[in-house]
Amino acid sequence: MNPKNDLNDSDLLRSMLAGDEEALALLYRRRQAGVYRFALQMSGSKTIAEDVTQEVFLFLMRDGHVFDPARGSVSAFLFGVARNLVLRRLRVEQLLAPLGDDPEEDVPMLHATTDVCPLEDLTRAETIESVRKAVLSLPPKYREVVVLCELQDVSYVETAEILGCAIGTVRSRLHRARALLLEKLRPAAETEETGAATVRCFA
Amino acid sequence: MNDEEMLTRGLKALAAEMESLSAPDTVELKLREAFRKQNVVIPITAKRSTSRYWIAAAVAAMLLIAISVVAYRVNYRVNDDRKLAKQGQPQSSPKVNEEPVKQEQQVAGIPQQDNPQQHAAKPKRVRHSNVRRPENMQLANHAEIATDFIPLSYMTAVNLQDGGQIVRVELPRSALANFGLPVNMDRYNEKVKADVLVGVDGLAHAIRFIQ
Repeated sequence: MNPKNDLNDSDLLRSMLAGDEEALALLYRRRQAGVYRFALQMSGSKTIAEDVTQEVFLFLMRDGHVFDPARGSVSAFLFGVARNLVLRRLRVEQLLAPLGDDPEEDVPMLHATTDVCPLEDLTRAETIESVRKAVLSLPPKYREVVVLCELQDVSYVETAEILGCAIGTVRSRLHRARALLLEKLRPAAETEETGAATVRCFA
Repeated sequence: MNDEEMLTRGLKALAAEMESLSAPDTVELKLREAFRKQNVVIPITAKRSTSRYWIAAAVAAMLLIAISVVAYRVNYRVNDDRKLAKQGQPQSSPKVNEEPVKQEQQVAGIPQQDNPQQHAAKPKRVRHSNVRRPENMQLANHAEIATDFIPLSYMTAVNLQDGGQIVRVELPRSALANFGLPVNMDRYNEKVKADVLVGVDGLAHAIRFIQ
């Protein structure tokens, strides 16, 4: 067993900055998934998520000495860097007009996989996909709170550190974000109900 | 089930669905490659050795400066001692000629100032713009001993006033005898240095011998 596995993130970061490649590998394997998922849930693009993950750790290699343990954890630091990079990429993406639908970019990531009940599984997959789209359609300042608190299971305190705001702001934004999500998801449910009623009428 | 619960359940399902997602392995490979390149440029051991090198270089530079200052002071004192020793030499010994042009005037018979006291107190300098000294003459005068300028037979005062040029030449030691100077027979075959004052007419007007 590698003795470095017992080291915390700060120690690994210190070793990495001292030139220890193994420390970089351990820290990357420990934190890359969270950063990648955060970038993917924020952008909805696998390409952006990969680029952001790479850039986050490149930044850590170059400028990792700016990390201050007194201001938060390494994880929060990484999420903060990832957030800035994602928001920058999204601003650039907004300026560029898409030429067409890229089949690999906006593919629904969820598929019916279980064999228990295909219809239930399909319904569940559709629900998840609709939630994913609803999250992606939120304004960035609400989206990031939902992604961090609801999807990444980050605490309010750490979210406040990442976003650089008060905990109360995190709570209020999350409340508002949930309300917006319900608004976005409700029409679909209502349409389904309306559609069902229409079917019954014709029947 | 109300809307809030449905939303929470949907978000949890989405989070669970994406739980297994992670960055591709190529990202880690690229990062490790970049990390190696970055650390090849500035390895920690190299940093230490570089800093040690600079400290050693700084100490060496300080020592060099200190030695140079000491050497300069010692050399300056030796020169002062030599000057003092030369000032204390008897009148009969050949003296260092620091103003050859002035000597030329005296030799050429240029009329002296009417007030001899003033002349004694402050010798008048006559500048000859065309009379140039060799570039290293001033330095050479500190080490060289020269005789007075000896006029040559065809020298005239008019020619000298127009200016002239001093030319350093080497002559056979026998030339000393032509001007009535003693010749060391042991060094008869050797050459002797001399400064020849050449006028604007291209003729040699005076000569002095250098030791």
